Amino acid sequence: MGSWRSRPTELCLAAGFLATAVYFAVPRGNPQSVIYDVVGAGSAVAIAYAAVLRRPSRKLPWLLFAFGNLFFAVADMIFSVLVDPPVPSVADVFYLLGYPLVAAGLVLLLLAGGGVRRLGALVDAGILVCAFVLLQWVFVLDPIVDGGGSTAEVAVSAAYPIMDIVLLAGLAGFFVSAAWRTPAFLLLVSSVVLLLVGDEIYGITPDSYRSGDWVDVTWLLSYVIWAAAALHPSMRELSEPRRRPQPRLRVSPARLGVLLAALLTPPVVLLVQDVRPSAPIEIPAYVAAMIAISVFVLLRLVGILRALESIRLRERAARADAEQAQRLLSAQNERLVEADRLKDEFVALISHDLRTPLTSIMGYIELSLDDELDAPLDPERRSYLEVVSRSSGRLLRLVDDLLFVARLQSGRLDLTRSRLDLMEIARQSAEEVRARAEAKAIEVVVDADEPVPIEGDRGRLFQLLDNLVSNAVKFTPDGGRVELRVSRDGEAILEVCDTGVGFTEEEAARVFERFYRTEAAVERQIPGTGLGLFIAHAITAAHGGQISAHPREGGGALFRIRLPLAESTA
Amino acid sequence: MTEVVLVADDDDDILLLVTTRLKRDGFEIVSARNGAEALELARRHTPRVAVLDVGMPGMDGLEVLAAIRADEALAGTRVLLLTAKAQESDVRRGFDTGADAYVKKPFSPAELAGRVRELYDGAL
Repeated sequence: MGSWRSRPTELCLAAGFLATAVYFAVPRGNPQSVIYDVVGAGSAVAIAYAAVLRRPSRKLPWLLFAFGNLFFAVADMIFSVLVDPPVPSVADVFYLLGYPLVAAGLVLLLLAGGGVRRLGALVDAGILVCAFVLLQWVFVLDPIVDGGGSTAEVAVSAAYPIMDIVLLAGLAGFFVSAAWRTPAFLLLVSSVVLLLVGDEIYGITPDSYRSGDWVDVTWLLSYVIWAAAALHPSMRELSEPRRRPQPRLRVSPARLGVLLAALLTPPVVLLVQDVRPSAPIEIPAYVAAMIAISVFVLLRLVGILRALESIRLRERAARADAEQAQRLLSAQNERLVEADRLKDEFVALISHDLRTPLTSIMGYIELSLDDELDAPLDPERRSYLEVVSRSSGRLLRLVDDLLFVARLQSGRLDLTRSRLDLMEIARQSAEEVRARAEAKAIEVVVDADEPVPIEGDRGRLFQLLDNLVSNAVKFTPDGGRVELRVSRDGEAILEVCDTGVGFTEEEAARVFERFYRTEAAVERQIPGTGLGLFIAHAITAAHGGQISAHPREGGGALFRIRLPLAESTA
Repeated sequence: MTEVVLVADDDDDILLLVTTRLKRDGFEIVSARNGAEALELARRHTPRVAVLDVGMPGMDGLEVLAAIRADEALAGTRVLLLTAKAQESDVRRGFDTGADAYVKKPFSPAELAGRVRELYDGAL
């Protein structure tokens, strides 16, 4: 798309417009001829210079333009030197050589842009050319053929309109397919259109033309604008293959307008000829043009229908693919659900089967340690059995946690709610952990001075507090302190804080994740599975509360639980 | 009504554990290794307390409990259920069927003995 601003293009246009203005200010004859020849030759040189300067990926089309314009300029010079040019003259040779060159340039640009691969664009160009051929025939060629004269005269005179048809064919293909709106494209199209317009005016009224007529402005400006197009930086994009293919069914208003005009050409020309006095009406020409246009329209229609059909097929294929993917997905989903269910059953079964041997282990150890035994154990063996006892306790806890998590995942948490006092639960939890804490010389303090009534599942809340308080004792070094605080503030609030190893702010956000373990816990090899806080979180959530973890300044952790108060007291 | 405590569990080790602990407390024990045997012994001895494992093959603890409750001759028998299943729904089913107490596996033998003592002394 690019900017319109380009110093060389601006300079070229300014100089060209000035030269054109001067051309009409100076007297006819040699002064005009000099300006005309300078503009023509200048254009050819500028285009050749631009082809070298701008380094387009394909230089050939621009060199063809340069040579085409050079031949035109040479023809102009010869034409102006000849006093009374015969028909045909040497000038005609150069003029007629110029047309194929510029037309070839246009076609090459068209090929480079990849436009030729789009059948629709070519058909549109064909329709335009058909309409133009009809116009040329009716208004230019037919009068020349009927006008008489020598065979050479007729041949050369007819060659111009035919060359114009060739040029228009190139232009039409270019026009309907190339990238729009780049300055170089618009300038180039303008210059070719100006050339064609000048030729048409000349062709319709060949006998009244005199050098220096106003129609010269079209050819002069064609030279100027052609050079301006070549000098614009966006000329490089014209010879690049387009990266983004345009939608196949793109119908722009401009294109529709051009096609409509082409389609209406035969009837309108017929009408014009009918109205004009003594104008010949050659029915075969109109019929041929209309048949040709009809064939192109038919081709275009077929192309559009094919495109629609292929879109429909692609849509259907895409829908079938989507359905297939959907089926696969749901089948896979079913398998996943089944696998999940099997996993839960497996965990539940394993946990159950682990409990039975654990019952034996723990029961018999207790029997062995029982003081009432007739033969008391010696202290060393007793300490061994105590280790086994502690380890079995840990194993049991792990089994219970796994069972709990498995149940959590296979369904919701069933709560048996009753009215409870959070302060009482905190006191009891503290008592239960006291023996373990005293072994590490950890002080356990409960800070609570009034009952805090809540509705909850007694067993689950004990499990929750036990998890937190046990953790606090576990993570606190010898001689530390664990504190439980119960208060109310529209909600029941329970805080458990310790002077333990704690965690970072980043870790605080993750401690409630399943199997998550903090760096400190892993480093110090503090035993644990990373399930305790996950369970605490689940129990709190099931009670409609929130739990949060906070690192304490100077080390240690603070866990805060908020639970709804029992209804009558809330 | 005799001074007997019936203990039923399909796991020999647990059965031995429970009977050993209860004997130490001076209870007279009859033991069964499945549900059918437990019911037969219950009818023969009319125990004051029956300690029944829930998860036994064949006739399970809950079925034995239901049969005991259906037998007028055993109206005075107190039943304690032992189970490895810890879910609330299981506990509720146990009490609905007529259990007097519930102890979860793994249990502390001393605690179990204490519960049996309570039931034994409370029984007529």
